[in-house]
Amino acid sequence: MDNANTDVIQGTMDMLILKMLSLEPMHGFGIGRRVEQVSRGVFKVNPGSLLTALQRMERAGWIEAEWRQTENARRAKFYKLTRTGKKQLEVETEDWARRAGAVARLMRVEG
Amino acid sequence: MALWHSLQHGLRNLLRGRQRAQDVADEVEQYFAEAETAWMERGLSPEEARRAVRREMGTMSAAREEVRTFGWENQVRAIWSDSRYAMRQLVKHPAFTWTAVLTLALGIGANAAIFTVIQSVLLAPLPYANTSRLAMLHTHWTDSGHTSTRVTGGDAVDMRAQTKNLDAVSLYNGGNEGVQLRDHATYTNVAWVDENFAHVFDLKPIAGRLFSNAESHRAVVVSEEFARNNFGSVQAALEQVLHIESEAVVIVGVLPGGFHFPDKTEIWEAAPLKPESTSRTAFNYRAVALLRRGATFKSAQAELDALSQRLQTAYPQDNRAKLMQVIPLGEALTGNARPTLLLLWATVAIILLIACVNVTHLQLVRSMERQREIAIRKALGSNAWQVMRPVVIEGLLVALLGGVAGILLALPAVRVLVAMAPKELPRANEIHLNGWVLTFTLGIAVATALLASLLPALRAAKANAAEAMKQDAARGMEKRGARRLRDGLVIAEVAATFVLAVGAGMLLRTMTTLMKRNMGYQTRQLLVVDADNPAHAEDDYKRVLTQYTNLFTELEQMPGVVRVAGVMGLPTSEYGSNGYYRTRGGLPADAQHMPYATFTVASPGYFGTMEIPLLRGRDFDASDVYDGQFVTVISESLAKQSFGNADPIGKQIQCGLDSPKWMTVVGVVGDVRQDSPAEQPGPTLYMPMAQHPYYANQIHIVLRTEVKPLSLVNAVRAKIMQTNPEIAMKFTTMDAMVNDSITVERFRAVLLAAFAGAGLLLAMLGVYGTIEYSVAQRGFEIGIRMAFGADKSAILGGILKHAALLACLGIVLGAGASLMLTRLVTAMLVGVRPIDPISLSGASLLLILTAIVAASAPGWKAAHVNPMEALRAE
Repeated sequence: MDNANTDVIQGTMDMLILKMLSLEPMHGFGIGRRVEQVSRGVFKVNPGSLLTALQRMERAGWIEAEWRQTENARRAKFYKLTRTGKKQLEVETEDWARRAGAVARLMRVEG
Repeated sequence: MALWHSLQHGLRNLLRGRQRAQDVADEVEQYFAEAETAWMERGLSPEEARRAVRREMGTMSAAREEVRTFGWENQVRAIWSDSRYAMRQLVKHPAFTWTAVLTLALGIGANAAIFTVIQSVLLAPLPYANTSRLAMLHTHWTDSGHTSTRVTGGDAVDMRAQTKNLDAVSLYNGGNEGVQLRDHATYTNVAWVDENFAHVFDLKPIAGRLFSNAESHRAVVVSEEFARNNFGSVQAALEQVLHIESEAVVIVGVLPGGFHFPDKTEIWEAAPLKPESTSRTAFNYRAVALLRRGATFKSAQAELDALSQRLQTAYPQDNRAKLMQVIPLGEALTGNARPTLLLLWATVAIILLIACVNVTHLQLVRSMERQREIAIRKALGSNAWQVMRPVVIEGLLVALLGGVAGILLALPAVRVLVAMAPKELPRANEIHLNGWVLTFTLGIAVATALLASLLPALRAAKANAAEAMKQDAARGMEKRGARRLRDGLVIAEVAATFVLAVGAGMLLRTMTTLMKRNMGYQTRQLLVVDADNPAHAEDDYKRVLTQYTNLFTELEQMPGVVRVAGVMGLPTSEYGSNGYYRTRGGLPADAQHMPYATFTVASPGYFGTMEIPLLRGRDFDASDVYDGQFVTVISESLAKQSFGNADPIGKQIQCGLDSPKWMTVVGVVGDVRQDSPAEQPGPTLYMPMAQHPYYANQIHIVLRTEVKPLSLVNAVRAKIMQTNPEIAMKFTTMDAMVNDSITVERFRAVLLAAFAGAGLLLAMLGVYGTIEYSVAQRGFEIGIRMAFGADKSAILGGILKHAALLACLGIVLGAGASLMLTRLVTAMLVGVRPIDPISLSGASLLLILTAIVAASAPGWKAAHVNPMEALRAE
């Protein structure tokens, strides 16, 4: 399984980040680790893409950032969900459910 | 909202670039540190953890780069850094920069200057209220195609009464008049206007009031400038009395400054709404009209078409083929200037094109020098836009510099243009640089930049990295396409310049033709006094006549003066009359085409003073009195026109100047060109002042002098003041008047010649640049050839031949283009045929010489290359 694709499914990065942040405010690595853990290693995120996505979402007004100390006493940028971000998560979740359901139905079709 | 956030963040990042870079670096570092910590928690050594992270996430610097390039502000930053790079490149290549910027400055400056004039004259709305509804009424004859900018009183009354589309019609006439103030007389533009005039232009006096119809010939309104200049203030001018044409008029109101319609009018005198002349053949008036709200020029014209038809039926003689026309005022005022201005515009457009070609060529040379650099960039993975960006930015920078320099050049150029402009140029006082022109200039600068850098940029983007690395112009291994492109640009440039040179040649030849022309009289050593002796009642005119007769005798006795005479209708002057005449004993005349002549009223001695040759019979003399037999002197072509080969002396002529009396022909004189040297000599009827006193008070006094004419001005002025201080006067010379009569032709010729000169300079630069570049690039090859014994003259000859070949190809192309364009200037030529072999061959010679001269310097350099040095160059 060494060569298995661990990229996040195209177009779902924002939703995953929003979901993780809806649990609690986190810094970049925290989000990356949580995605990897919860997906049991199916998805791994690249720091470049993750931090870029965070910047984009910050600009969209979905999340807010703040520099704070981590449990390891490092200075880190913590992100938290805004009210627009919560709404966006609902929209994206609903959209994803609809599309995932459709894909599942399609894959069940026989003969 | 999202856009706002993005803008806010982007701006913040731009302003605090270092802080932001630090933040990104910190965040990435923290990310990697946490990842290493996580691995170590799983039991890896620090070294192993670092390696694991590296394997999984790549390098920190790559991540940093990825995060940092997010956001629109990074494009800005990249462009900024490219601009700084381009700036450094420009400073490092001063020859390229100067040539390109100056070339563009010339092209853009010329365009900005001419566009300023065009914008102010043709495009800017007139400075009046209701501009879009203002109209001028003209009279057009459908049979002859002739159009008069005037109307008759009779037709005007009908247009006023029988149209629904015209809200108001105002009749006016006027001109430069002597105006007597309390203590002096002055020449001022006076217009006689009716009550409707103020309504048409929506005039509101700044002091006093407007006049009413009941105050005709008794009240005037004056301009704010006239009030201030003559009375000190607007209020002081009210109730003051002026004398115009011997009528006492009182100033009842002052109009706001800046309004001077028609022409440069300072005084508007009340004239009755019902025109004094209701004839349908005397075109005594001009008419302005205001369209009714909601009416269009089309609907108004349709109504006038119908009215003209009715009038043609009602007055089959007077209104035959006569059609009233309604023309937008702006068009009516500027129509004459349009062809000249458009010609100039086309000319400067060609100049800009040449400038563009030059700059493209320069850029191309630059980009070829950079080909290796570009190839390396592409090899390192830059995309097309990233490769093109520096080239385009460099072009933009050059164009902006050129644009700014061009505007700085245009500022004085516009002043020179206005100063040179013929006085017929309408709205000249409104000409100034403004936002529109700056926008236009900026627009052409940017367009130029894109145009000039597009070719090189595209080539840069297309360049095949491996090909480009191999290719090295300095070793004579240039691609054939590159060279063909540069040659093509030079050919295009020569062709465009050729078109300009031919145009300038034809206009200059027109000018020399005009200046050498025999006017039919001697213009040198002739002082001209424009004299207006106020007269109103019959007695006044008789007194004026006596005064003038005595004055001529007194002036003739002054030292330096040879002969003196008076005339109404001096050639090239603004006064004059003309019309139909009838003969007794002459050739039969066609009733549809009555013979036509210029009417001139002159004192005895006029022909001698002007040196118009007396061919037969006698001059006027003291015996030709008002109560005696009316007499006339005719010009040679009138004699031919009406009497053929028969002797005209003693024949009878009647004309419509002022008296129905038959006049006996007593003399025949040579023809003169009446309006300007461009005019053909034509038939003229001369009548003695004594028999036409109503045309003898506002005259020109001509003095043939032995000394410089203008040196007599003070003495003559004193003498005239002594005769009658109320005579308003202006001084000039016949030479100056004739000169002024061809200012339009001169304006065109001088400007086109100047532009052709500029084009020539640019073409020379272009040829020089190309040859110089190719010689420099072929140094190695030439070195080898010379090392193998090639002759110096063979090398120089080869280079010059190449330049001459390019010039010849350009000339052939240019000749084709100018034959197609020649229609544009045909109407502006006098004494030159539209396909003028002299101009064509002159321009060809000039361009071949230019090309050879431009190529000879680099050619000489090439022929004197030291082969050893050239071969060792690398």
